[in-house]
Amino acid sequence: MTKKMVKLIFPQELIKEPVTFRMAKQFDVIPNIRRANVTGTVGELILELEGQDERIEEGIEYLTKLGVKVEPIVGDIIE
Amino acid sequence: MGYVKGLRCRECGRGYPKESLYVCEYCFGPLEVDYDYEGIKEKLNKEVIEYRAKNLWRYRELLPLDGEPTVGLESGFTPLIRAVNLEKALGVKELYIKDDSVNHPTLSFKDRVVAVALSKAKEFGFDTVACASTGNLANSVAAQAAIANLKRYIFIPADLELGKIVGTLIFNPILVAVEGNYDQVNRLCSEIAKRHKWAFVNINIRPYYAEGSKTFGYEIAEQLGWKAPRNIIVPCAGGSLITKIWKGLKELQNLELIDRIDTKIYAAQATGCAPIVTGIKENSDIIRPVKPNTIARSLAIGNPADGIYAFRTVKESGGWAEDVSDDEIVEAMKLLAATQGIFTETAGGVTLGVTKKLIEQGRIPKDESILICITGNGLKTQEAVTEKIGKPIKINPNIASFEENIGRERRM
Ligand SMILES: Cc1ncc(COP(=O)(O)O)c(C=O)c1O
Ligand SMILES: [Zn+2]
Repeated sequence: MTKKMVKLIFPQELIKEPVTFRMAKQFDVIPNIRRANVTGTVGELILELEGQDERIEEGIEYLTKLGVKVEPIVGDIIE
Repeated sequence: MGYVKGLRCRECGRGYPKESLYVCEYCFGPLEVDYDYEGIKEKLNKEVIEYRAKNLWRYRELLPLDGEPTVGLESGFTPLIRAVNLEKALGVKELYIKDDSVNHPTLSFKDRVVAVALSKAKEFGFDTVACASTGNLANSVAAQAAIANLKRYIFIPADLELGKIVGTLIFNPILVAVEGNYDQVNRLCSEIAKRHKWAFVNINIRPYYAEGSKTFGYEIAEQLGWKAPRNIIVPCAGGSLITKIWKGLKELQNLELIDRIDTKIYAAQATGCAPIVTGIKENSDIIRPVKPNTIARSLAIGNPADGIYAFRTVKESGGWAEDVSDDEIVEAMKLLAATQGIFTETAGGVTLGVTKKLIEQGRIPKDESILICITGNGLKTQEAVTEKIGKPIKINPNIASFEENIGRERRM
């Protein structure tokens, strides 16, 4: 299991869709939301993803394909 | 010496010890250095500062070291120039240039942040330093780590300007050219930082490193006679410099070293990489990452770490933002050279180009004091102008050839 801190940026048309939930379910990834910010036209979600390494990457790819911008938070906490 | 209380999360305010930490473990917000300002106020006044040597350590109580600085002892205190010729060219009344194109030792404002970062890294006991860089940081980390006898790993995008590569390699670091843009380099470095116990100046030393940029703001005020100008134009990449200039001015006000701040801060970026400027123009405090495409490589950060704080700085100060095309960047570089004799790099072209635009738009009033931040040196980005400044006139070594090619023409 790994943890990854990411920032998700949603375009307007995706703000109302439960895409994070779908991704979490489909790839067996646990999202742990730390901060969120939504304006009229764009949404931002800062969270930690916990799961199998490859599954997290697949989940990120899934979101990216839908039009969500996925940016790593630089950098991840050194453990 | 040493007025650091600890680190504090910029988002939720949670406190942390003064270690090489950089992300809040609760909200993932960035950490910032927290000082004992009451103690500083007792120690620091104008006379104390003015008596000290002319380098950035004259403000040492406001920098995050516990002991004496060991690196970058000659950095900072660069010239602040009244730009009389440029005033005429732009039709404005009072124009200044803060000229970090001649900073020591590597000719950019990054010498400030690296002086602080490496002094802190030594204090923490690291023997190896590293950075991800768009060029200037690479030069400075390589050079100053050589001075400090630290091992050095530098990561850059592979397509960087030759001047920036040579200006790094000469200091004998391990230079890693990554096939990708800066944001990809940075992403890779955050993975590497997890595996190696290095002082990554812009990752795990970042809260300390960033504080070095405050000295750019302190010097502006001190050199103007302990006064802040009405308008400051700052080039933005990650958005740290602009944020820290503003923080620096506010600290001076809190310490009663300047009376008031009547200053608007303006963000300058290249059109080919303007995520911060776009955020400001659209009034969106969510900064949307972009894929950079501009000759201003030193500013080519598509996912700015401090974008949101740059946004807040501009809004809080009542300033604005603008971007300029590659052609406008080159024109501005030539204008600065022709009027003030300063050869700045592409980032300086961005700053002056944006200033010119903001004046033409009426955003910056012509009768107010204006200060332009020139942060890098043109000798490092020569390819940007090589084809655009004409050629030398070739003649044979005799007077007839001179007269034929030049003398006669000039007399006519
Ligand atoms: C010459 C120059 N000016 C300005 C900047 C912008 O600094 P910041 O990343 O703090 O916004 C950089 C950053 O690399 C730079 O190299
Ligand atoms: Zn926090």
